[in-house]
Amino acid sequence: MKNLTKTAVLVLAIAVVLTGCKQPTQLINDVKAAVETVTTAGADKYAPEELKVINDDLTKALDEVAAQDKKFFKKFGPAKEMLAAVQAKVAELTAALPAKIEAAKNLAIQLQGEAQTALTEAADLLKKAPKGKGTKKDLEALQADLDGAQTMFTEIQTALDANDYIGAQDKAKTVKEKVAAIVDQINAAIAKVKK
Amino acid sequence: MKTSWLTGAACVLGLTYCIACNTPPVPPEAARAIALEQDLWRAGGSLFTPREYASFRDSLKDAQGKIDAEETKFGWFRDYGPVRTELRGLITRGEAVLERINSEKDAKARTFALSADVLAARIDGLYRITEYFNENDDVRKNVAQAEIKLSEARLLVGKEKYELAAETAGEGGLFLDRAEEAAVRLLRRYLDRDEREKWSRWANAAIAESKAKSAVVLLVNKIERKLIVYKGGEVKARFDIGLGKYGLSDKLRSGDDATPEGRYRVIRKFNATKFYKALLIDYPNEEDKRTFVEAKRKGLIPGRATIGGDIEIHGGGKDSLTRGCVGLENNDMDDVFAWVEIGTPVTIVGATRTENTILMEIEKYKKNGH
Repeated sequence: MKNLTKTAVLVLAIAVVLTGCKQPTQLINDVKAAVETVTTAGADKYAPEELKVINDDLTKALDEVAAQDKKFFKKFGPAKEMLAAVQAKVAELTAALPAKIEAAKNLAIQLQGEAQTALTEAADLLKKAPKGKGTKKDLEALQADLDGAQTMFTEIQTALDANDYIGAQDKAKTVKEKVAAIVDQINAAIAKVKK
Repeated sequence: MKTSWLTGAACVLGLTYCIACNTPPVPPEAARAIALEQDLWRAGGSLFTPREYASFRDSLKDAQGKIDAEETKFGWFRDYGPVRTELRGLITRGEAVLERINSEKDAKARTFALSADVLAARIDGLYRITEYFNENDDVRKNVAQAEIKLSEARLLVGKEKYELAAETAGEGGLFLDRAEEAAVRLLRRYLDRDEREKWSRWANAAIAESKAKSAVVLLVNKIERKLIVYKGGEVKARFDIGLGKYGLSDKLRSGDDATPEGRYRVIRKFNATKFYKALLIDYPNEEDKRTFVEAKRKGLIPGRATIGGDIEIHGGGKDSLTRGCVGLENNDMDDVFAWVEIGTPVTIVGATRTENTILMEIEKYKKNGH
């Protein structure tokens, strides 16, 4: 009876030791998958700094796992804690990311609206501009320039549809810039007539 | 007894001091190396110098491992000397990589700036060329698109996205190619030697007629936008003119807004019209009629098209677009009107000199490497 108890205690002790020595594979896989998900969700574009911290921490945690794995008496507790911390940061970023993307999208849409307004105002100005002596030729050329800007305007929506909000922002800014230059030229042509 | 107790206490304090106060601190180079790794990442190490950046990270990890190993030792036995030396070397290496990244970025920025300058020069050149003709919608539209693409590429360079910037600038270049094709399509006749020789023959014949008959002859040069009054073969006056939207094209039919080319005569003089004074010429002449019939036969113009007419030299301003007529400033029209009689020859040519302004502009454009 006494031997049986000793054997049971020994088996239990071995089981505890073996369980404690086991790599946290599931946790590692879960964290890696979460990092990948948040990356493909746009963290690389819209939260690169936060993603870098997460990737660095994950690397450190994996290094710790590897270091423990080489030891005879393995102790994965700290590695698990590091992985759990990474997981928490990923969860935090996952929660914050939609707001960051939404902000970028909203800004892109706002700039798209501004570009559209600029185009409409420029077209109106062009229509109202006196096509008289000294201006008709200039105004027709400016109409062609405006047509070019209008064509490029469609690229903003293409970028928005592809969820490329930063690209859409850039495109909207450049269209606005060109339209502003055209408006200046229209006003110069109008001023020429008024002289 | 009291002395030995005091000695013992002093020993304990001394030992505590040695252990606590002589524990060497983690070398400050470690923090600098970690910060440098951040700088390298921010500078785009993984993009510009991936191997060196990865090697730096590996070495940093190795050094951090050594620091961790030292930290597990009892303070008295810790020795950060070797890892400190290692970290110093690593910092030197990292700074060199950072410098390389920055110089690589500078090089990329310079390369982009050069290609952006070429694009900007092409844009300016094409805008300048479009000032010589009115039928420039296609050219201008493409140039405007190219300009927007170039601005977009410049924004991307500001964000150090050189590959994407080059790609975007390349798209701008494609728009400029299209603009050039459109310009060449319009100006092909002006670059054609046979066409230019034909115009020169007409011009020379008109001047010869003026000389032989000591008569007034009007020569309209479309590309130079000039009306020249000859008398006795000598230039008596030059006036700036305006043409129609498609003024550089040869008139083929009614409504094409083109200005006809050929040898005509003034058939009527009007003292007051919608466009001030006007001189009606005898378009279409026999040559125009033959060309019109031939174009219709070849299906180049619609079957219901008519040849048109009422081509005048009139006032109203040189900058306003005409429907195919030749427009002058009113005061210039007064002078021309005074020179001209019914029957005065009017020769309209595309260009006279081989080296005309637009050809020079195109040559300059080509010389600039476009």
